[in-house]
Amino acid sequence: MKEPAPNNQLRDLPLVKAPDAIWESIEAAMDASLDAGPKPKWTWRPVWAWGIAAVVLAAVGAGAWLITRPPRAAWAVDRIDGKITEHGKIEVGDWLQTDASSRARITLSDAGAGDIGTIEIAPNTRVRMVASRPGEQRLRLARGEISARVSAPPRLFFVDTPASTAVDLGCAYTMKADQDGNGLLSVTLGWVSLEWAGREALVPAGANCRTRPMIGPGTPYFDDASQALKDALGSFDFDGGGTSAADAVLAEARVRDTLTLWHLLSRVEGTDRQRVYNRIVDLVPLPKGVSPDKALQLDRETLKLWREELAWKW
Amino acid sequence: MVTGLSDREISADIIESCRLGDRDAFRALYEAYKDKVYSIALYFFHGDEAAASDMTQQVFLKLIQSIAQFRGEAGFATWLYRLVVNACMDGARRAKPREAAANATVDALAGPGSQEHDFAREETARSVRAALSALPVKFRLPILLRYFEELSYGEMAAAMNCSMGTVASRLNRGHKMLAQKLESLR
Repeated sequence: MKEPAPNNQLRDLPLVKAPDAIWESIEAAMDASLDAGPKPKWTWRPVWAWGIAAVVLAAVGAGAWLITRPPRAAWAVDRIDGKITEHGKIEVGDWLQTDASSRARITLSDAGAGDIGTIEIAPNTRVRMVASRPGEQRLRLARGEISARVSAPPRLFFVDTPASTAVDLGCAYTMKADQDGNGLLSVTLGWVSLEWAGREALVPAGANCRTRPMIGPGTPYFDDASQALKDALGSFDFDGGGTSAADAVLAEARVRDTLTLWHLLSRVEGTDRQRVYNRIVDLVPLPKGVSPDKALQLDRETLKLWREELAWKW
Repeated sequence: MVTGLSDREISADIIESCRLGDRDAFRALYEAYKDKVYSIALYFFHGDEAAASDMTQQVFLKLIQSIAQFRGEAGFATWLYRLVVNACMDGARRAKPREAAANATVDALAGPGSQEHDFAREETARSVRAALSALPVKFRLPILLRYFEELSYGEMAAAMNCSMGTVASRLNRGHKMLAQKLESLR
């Protein structure tokens, strides 16, 4: 049967690697099922002697494993106000939910790094502990608001939201997600990286970044940027504002807004990219070691060096 | 741990070991299919990684619970993708309001590119993702099954519990709608 276009474009869609945390959640659920006792309804059928022996061996093995296995990872949970769905602790796979009048606090701990911080769960929020293993602590924010204060090494604590993953780089921040999956990150200390499908935004203290499902993180901006810049950025990131929206951002940008312009550089092409570049160097002279050609070609090392120099102004 | 098996190499031995509760065998099964199941879920749920993770987890947990009932009359992949179809449909029913919101953002999805160096490719992929997202569930699902698992029409019909004619018709209409949406996103 003939398939019309656009089948070639569909074949180019990349297969996405499933996160490792899924297996951990499955194992946790399997463990929980073992803890709850045997549930399968066994039906009798003739078996060979070796089959019985295998079952006995498996049972002995499972018993030994149950006795010797390490305890399941958990985070401590404290109620701050009102009623919450979990008390004392949550384990991998567990949900924690607050209502309109309740708040809770999670203490994050990592087997390798010890206590690494706290997360305050605001009212009307639903979160889930997704993974807890040495080197990876992962929370899912389904909806609502959390405030995290993390002292872990960079890239150890992750918050998955419907539109992006917030990767802690040593910081304090607030993350919100509404019913439609739209999010807002506000960083108060340090840096957070927002990531989704190869798209990344690096957000420093004092800055915010909006997120949308299927688009990922927008372009970061500082709290004290002009409202006109914020509006234009929203239009550029999520409403197809294109060149006219980018122009409005350029016109409104101050020295500090080179944070926004640095991100914008790699989100536009051709003459638009040249104009963004020109505006950045108007505001802050190009530092030594940053090649204009390489910057315009989005060479990763060059952009990183440039960002590190610009960050002194942020 | 056994890993790296292709989905066509899952043997009766592995399935039998899973029935006996062998965790390594189940891990092998998981490794063979996880990326395809996750990708279908991710594209089905408008790129919501958390929802895709949840659905992938549900599918494999359901698989563990019910593998004893797998008799091998149909291929293992067909049986697995039937679980995927059911989980997607359940998820879609629960997420009706979200679905409408996601569809409303389709025009915006063809917006500016990412930090990836290959802009043209990334732009095309973004447009296709956006157009796929906007397709109604009954057309979106067969297209995802076709392109990520390359199921035959017969296998898709078994997975979706419908006739091959229905599969062909939905694929055909889905392709046409997709082509129209991609045209309008250019």
